[in-house]
Amino acid sequence: MRAFVFTDKALGRQAGRFVWLSINTEKRENAAVLAKYPIQASPTLFVIDPAAEKVVLKYVGGATVPQLQRILDDGARAAGHGRDGRKSDELLAKADAFYAAGQNKEAAEAYRAALKGMARSSPSYARAVESALFALSSSRQHETCAAVAKDAFEHLKSSPSAANVAGSGLDCALALDKTVPSRAALVSDLARDVSEVLRGPRTGLAVDDVSALYQTFAEERDAAGDAAGKTKILEEWAAYLEVEAAKGKTPEARAAFDAHRITAYLALGQPERGIPMLEASERDFPDDYNPPARLALAYRGMKKYDEALAASDRALARAYGPRKLVILNVRADIHDKKGDAAAARKVREEALAWAEALPKEQVSERQIAALKKQLEPPK
Amino acid sequence: MLSTAAILAAALASTGLSGKEVLPFIADDYPKALALARAEGKPIFLETWAPW
Repeated sequence: MRAFVFTDKALGRQAGRFVWLSINTEKRENAAVLAKYPIQASPTLFVIDPAAEKVVLKYVGGATVPQLQRILDDGARAAGHGRDGRKSDELLAKADAFYAAGQNKEAAEAYRAALKGMARSSPSYARAVESALFALSSSRQHETCAAVAKDAFEHLKSSPSAANVAGSGLDCALALDKTVPSRAALVSDLARDVSEVLRGPRTGLAVDDVSALYQTFAEERDAAGDAAGKTKILEEWAAYLEVEAAKGKTPEARAAFDAHRITAYLALGQPERGIPMLEASERDFPDDYNPPARLALAYRGMKKYDEALAASDRALARAYGPRKLVILNVRADIHDKKGDAAAARKVREEALAWAEALPKEQVSERQIAALKKQLEPPK
Repeated sequence: MLSTAAILAAALASTGLSGKEVLPFIADDYPKALALARAEGKPIFLETWAPW
């Protein structure tokens, strides 16, 4: 969103309606803001009533310009600053309030009630569906999530939400235990929807969303045991991202898909394909830990462990906050793959110390427990 | 994306700012944004993001 959406001139008309605040969730000094406004995924967007410091609207995930316009209009209305004379739907407002408070189970139920009475043509319909899907998935109601997605896709297949709805639904269907009787039909129906989006004109879809859709589709082929089909999807995914990156007019726009691309190349077993773009990104953004951290992943995949450690050194010199844990974990694994268990253990001890020193808003107890477990002597 | 959120946490990319934002974002200063919003009687739009 930062490279493409917030720079769009169409948003100019919104500029005077809000006070705009961006919070880098990885910075230690922002832990207090996260304590007030907890997040489960990044990015998460909020509209906040400043009088009571109360969240009136929350949206999880990236948004396209038209989606953001809708979020802003709904948010302004919920904060009592609506200007189109439309009143908030009471059931939707109730669902939004649970969702804003992070009560996903209650939010899911309230969104389903709101959706029942809502016209499919309502300007808030797509946002309500997407929030319902996130709330259902987060509260592990995967069967309902897949069913809601399947129903909503018919109405949203030509909207910017098409990719997210089909992909989220398929993710939920794939997460179902194989013993659930409805699983096969839900997976098959939603895979067809995903395929329809990928084979269609993709008008108005965010590249991030299309990319995520390829990833989900490849997982579906994998779960179906179709190795050739999976490789074909991964190839299409990589080619799609290469075309989109080539369209970028600035280094930021070109590098915006580095993370997706290296994920696709690693899945294809072709990590070397990512080296030139990552070297270019490291030159363009010399203070950014991401390019060398991704180079470490690529070199590890190529079994070039010394190059991987050198890239990891450069990443660690620039890293801060919770992301450093990921970089240290990869580094420990590189040492393991080199056969140097002592060095791996030392890095894991460093990671644990780093995790324990992070503010509690930036690291979970589960993460700390996992790091401790890795340091236990083998039984 | 939903249950791939964790996977995409590693994948969703944005490398720095382009410096051409149409919206006048205040970076990493909640007290300043709160004071301004109260003074101007406007809601706050908050974007939480991670640099990976």
